[in-house]
Amino acid sequence: MNAIILSAAFGVVMMLCSFLIKNKSNFRHIASVALLILLIGNIADTYGYTFFAIDTHGMLQFNRFGLLFNSIAIGSTLLYVLLTGKEIENAGMHVAEYFTLILFVLCGVTLLSAYNNLLTLFLGIEIMSIPLYILTGSDKRNMKSNEAALKYFLMGSFSTGLMLMGIALTYGGTGTFSLEVVRNAPNMYKGLVSFLEILGLLFLLVSMAFKVSAAPFHFWTPDVYDGAPSVFTSFMATIVKAAGFIAFIKLCAVRMAETESVVDWKMIYAIIIVATLLVGNITAVFQQSVKRMLAYSSIAQAGFMLFTLISLNDMAYEGILLYSAAYSLATIGIFAVLVKMKDYTFDGYNGLAKTQPVLAATNTVFLLSLSGIPLTAGFFAKYYMLAAVVKTGNYTWLVITGVLFAAVSVYYYFRVIQAMYFKEGNAETTTIVPSFKYGLIALAAIIILLGIFPTLLLRWLYF
Amino acid sequence: MSTSEILFWFLSVLALFSAIMVLVSKNPIHSVLWLIVVFFAISGHYLLLNAQFLAIVNIIVYAGAIMVLFLFVIMLMNLNKETEPSRNIWMKFSGVISGGLLLWIFVSATRSAGEIVGKTAMIKEGSIGLIENLGKVLFTQYALPFEISSVLFLSAMVGAVVIGKKQ
Repeated sequence: MNAIILSAAFGVVMMLCSFLIKNKSNFRHIASVALLILLIGNIADTYGYTFFAIDTHGMLQFNRFGLLFNSIAIGSTLLYVLLTGKEIENAGMHVAEYFTLILFVLCGVTLLSAYNNLLTLFLGIEIMSIPLYILTGSDKRNMKSNEAALKYFLMGSFSTGLMLMGIALTYGGTGTFSLEVVRNAPNMYKGLVSFLEILGLLFLLVSMAFKVSAAPFHFWTPDVYDGAPSVFTSFMATIVKAAGFIAFIKLCAVRMAETESVVDWKMIYAIIIVATLLVGNITAVFQQSVKRMLAYSSIAQAGFMLFTLISLNDMAYEGILLYSAAYSLATIGIFAVLVKMKDYTFDGYNGLAKTQPVLAATNTVFLLSLSGIPLTAGFFAKYYMLAAVVKTGNYTWLVITGVLFAAVSVYYYFRVIQAMYFKEGNAETTTIVPSFKYGLIALAAIIILLGIFPTLLLRWLYF
Repeated sequence: MSTSEILFWFLSVLALFSAIMVLVSKNPIHSVLWLIVVFFAISGHYLLLNAQFLAIVNIIVYAGAIMVLFLFVIMLMNLNKETEPSRNIWMKFSGVISGGLLLWIFVSATRSAGEIVGKTAMIKEGSIGLIENLGKVLFTQYALPFEISSVLFLSAMVGAVVIGKKQ
């Protein structure tokens, strides 16, 4: 509850700052302080110090898993603002508003980690999406940014429409909005599952798959991620996407699992996973622009995160937390380097190791983490995901497919490393200040530390 | 047949007919006008369910505000028959298939929904849609989503200003 209220309140404060404070560079510092307080507030909430006692009537349900995810999301955002705050200032004219929108997105994220009602799910998804449409189009002079924003908005509202339709149909089938349905209540039809509910859940599945850009609902992702200003792509592809997964997993773990007897949901998930891995990995291989490659790689990584839907055991919950931390941190780092580059193609990275050795070295760590090489956080993230599925005893073929596609992904991540270290060239970057380098080194250190001791993060789940 | 039954069938036929007309009209302005008829028919259904507030809001928001916006957009874009994009045969084909599949799912879902019979329409005695009950529920049980939706509207407002303001 702390995080929800504080993030909304800080959003309003940031908004007021925009006309009270004239100096642009102050906004970044205010936002960092706000995020820090938010993080502290959320940690306090985790250990029972709730500042606001509010009766939610069962609309929200806070548990350790969701609160730890909040901490990861807020912490990643803090690192993101510290590392790339300077670039946000250059993205457009309304700097304070961008930070406001980022804080509002966090409000949506914290709602999604705690929702216990389809109504709050809808509100969370919308609070998360609407600021993103605006951030996508924040580079108003750039036609590509405008196109991406419009495309994202139209597609996003269509999927929102599907979601509302799904919620309405499930309401028709069960007579309640709450996530857990009392199946033997007197107003239910003999405890059976209504077909309206199944149809509604199918619609919900489609709209959630759209939000996390799982195939075959991924078509918006490359264009939007490519067209949006790179700093905001970084935010969209990491924290927001991970929050979408947390919501998706909760929906599947509670609602779909209840109707398992009627529909073989797991088979549907398996088909979606294979399609997502296939589309994401194979198309990423053929990209020439690093930014577009990262968009496809984010689809591919979504495929891995979807493995949680199949397993849904303790290990899977630990895994998704580790995965969202590893993936978010690595992607934030890669984008932080990307926005400093003058040329976004693979050739633009040629010879970066000579001109900017620190950038090249840290970027290598981030790329290794994304491809899942041992001693980086990405390895244990992928390991937990796959091992959780193995533990269930079924779907071994799915695990094998996952491993194969992880091998494919190594190819396109290593292309960047190859360009940086083994190709002759003169990679041009914008001016790089020492503090930015220290930030990157710290980020790389966190990733390696999590790669060696994943329990550093996961033990917070239990005490 | 009682009066409400006659009204129900009349409104249903009207809603379906005008919904089909929205799709088949060649002129976009006619489509929008037929859409207004759809909204009025649906508002009539809400009235039959004793949900006056919903009926009025439906007319004010959809038939009023949103439809005016639609008309404006269509007039600004100056759509007419010449500018209508030519759709190729494969597009039509895939549209028919996917639409048909959706219809199939819908029909089979409603066909097998035996539990709906006899407990949906609370004509006359149902008071769930009255504004008094709605207000009570909104400010007790649903107070939290009600308050949180303010963040949603605030972010939409900030967005409108950010996008609309001159550089």
